[in-house]
Amino acid sequence: MSLRGVLVSSFNLENLAALMRNDSEQPRVEIQVAPYGQVKPVLLGVDASLWRDKPDFAVVWTQGEAVIDAYRAIQAYEEVPMKRLDDEVREYASLLKKLLDKVRFVFVPTWVRPPDEKIFGMLEMKPSGGTAYALMRMNVLLSECLQDEPRIIFFDSQRWTAVRDAFNPKLWYLGKIPFNNEVFAQASRDFRAALRILNGASKKMIVLDLDDTLWGGTVGEDGWENLRIGGHDPLGEAYADFQSALKSLTRRGVLLGIVSKNEESVALEAIRKHPEMRLKLEDFAGWMINWRDKVQNLADLTARLNLSLDSVVFIDDSPQERLAIRQALPEVEVPEWPEDTMLYKKALLGLSSFNTAALSAEDAHRTQMYVSERARGELKNSARSLEEWLESLDIRITSEELKATNLQRTAQLLNKTNQMNLSTRRMTEAELGEWARHRDRMVVTFRVADKFGDAGLVGLLSLEREPKKSRIVDFVLSCRVIGRGAEKTMLHWASQIAQAWGSEELTAPYKQTPKNKPCFEFWKSTDFIYDSKTGTFCRETKTLYPLPKTVKLIGI
Amino acid sequence: MPDRNRVERTIFSAIDDVNGLLLPAQRLTKSPETALMGDQSALDSLGLVNLIVAVERRVEEAFGVNLVLVDQESMSLKESPFKKIGTLVDYTKNLLDKKLNRVAP
Repeated sequence: MSLRGVLVSSFNLENLAALMRNDSEQPRVEIQVAPYGQVKPVLLGVDASLWRDKPDFAVVWTQGEAVIDAYRAIQAYEEVPMKRLDDEVREYASLLKKLLDKVRFVFVPTWVRPPDEKIFGMLEMKPSGGTAYALMRMNVLLSECLQDEPRIIFFDSQRWTAVRDAFNPKLWYLGKIPFNNEVFAQASRDFRAALRILNGASKKMIVLDLDDTLWGGTVGEDGWENLRIGGHDPLGEAYADFQSALKSLTRRGVLLGIVSKNEESVALEAIRKHPEMRLKLEDFAGWMINWRDKVQNLADLTARLNLSLDSVVFIDDSPQERLAIRQALPEVEVPEWPEDTMLYKKALLGLSSFNTAALSAEDAHRTQMYVSERARGELKNSARSLEEWLESLDIRITSEELKATNLQRTAQLLNKTNQMNLSTRRMTEAELGEWARHRDRMVVTFRVADKFGDAGLVGLLSLEREPKKSRIVDFVLSCRVIGRGAEKTMLHWASQIAQAWGSEELTAPYKQTPKNKPCFEFWKSTDFIYDSKTGTFCRETKTLYPLPKTVKLIGI
Repeated sequence: MPDRNRVERTIFSAIDDVNGLLLPAQRLTKSPETALMGDQSALDSLGLVNLIVAVERRVEEAFGVNLVLVDQESMSLKESPFKKIGTLVDYTKNLLDKKLNRVAP
């Protein structure tokens, strides 16, 4: 996959372009650099060739004084009313928004100033004439102006410039480059991570070892009472802080899992009983605690949770275990892990794999959904048949047409789902909304709930009316609810729409990807006929696809 | 006095920095005869700027000395010190010798 990007700047960005082009990591990028120092004309589209065929992204990286005249005046210690500064920032924000007609995503680094500009140090943060104050105000206002545009991503460039000699006057005078290359290297890494995530490659789960990773000591030998967590102990405190940081991540939709060589009962007792444990059992989506090798356990855990291996980050203090996972399961991200416990939290927060452009209500409750899934599994084990189990779940599925209130979550689902995904289309909110507006198209969303909880908006079906037939364009279902009848309910819905449109047949072209085999297997299990030449499933619409008896459908 | 080999190794580490910005086919060979300017060189003017800044930084790390490679003197020399890697090594060593002599007690 190769993405096209345009770099727009008030300074020379050729070094950033070179670093982005040379990076062998995915996604590969083709970069065009707009002439520097002409930000406003370039944003207004003076050179149409830059924006031909709608590039995937643009980086618009400017110096405050180059695009906001009022700030340049403040730097010259002129008196400037704050209203003038605010108005210019708002105007600049609207220019950035206009760029969304020309590209899919816009990356905007915050404005920064060299930290050693301190000639009037005590006045810098004064609202009346302080340059540091003015720049901070500009950044906050720009962020607020852009917050309703999920396709404009605002990057904290202060972090990139926290390296030695980040601002280099020599590079500026010789090449009109304000920063050294370490700054550009950091920015390049962040842009690439964002592109991966915006194209659906975000990580979903952290799988952790226990002994000397989540706590200090070996629970099987030391006993849970003697583990180092919290208390008046620097190492214990570092473990507790690491656990607290992990717990915070669960509130942003990151799942936690355990893979550990231990007696399960002993390890679970420690989690339940140690008074300083920040993480509780209900914070974990699942675990595999036994004496088998971790490679097998990690593969089994992700399969059990219906996650793919490339959505997992594995953290273990043992270099041997890390190496084993890296070699056997190369899709799993295995970060190098510090030997020093006091650096654990820093290493965790330094990961960029969980970066996300927006959060939905489902993200905040994702772990709870997996805990409910565990309860469902326990019920399944005690049920005499699959039918009896599904019956006992009291499944309710609510369908709803695409609308402004569910657009964000629907686009997120479309872009993140890999396994149960018929065509793996990736679209922004605006693109999906625009696509659905056509009168011969329909997008329906599905929420799934049962007696253990509400999984939220987890299904998406889109159809297009063609002469004599209706075509399913997207058939997307979160892996969290696969096997509970939602798939068949969506087909029931699709056949209803096809009948209502007067179509004779319902078709579903399957586009194979490395990850969507489960989708193909499901469709093969239905009464749709598969034409291997065209890769299309097809069914007549004389009869409706049957609604599962175990599902109560609440329709639009 | 800094050993010439050590100065050369320092310049080579700066070449590594600059090679990170070049496409594989354009990367500079770490040899005294490699051209840094003119038709034979893979470096454009921006590449040369990057190299100058990288050498100054690497020299500071290796020898603890701030060198100024581009000034009136270097710009007025008949034979540019930035012609080849070898000439850059010689010029850097010469500047280092002067600077270290000056600061020696």
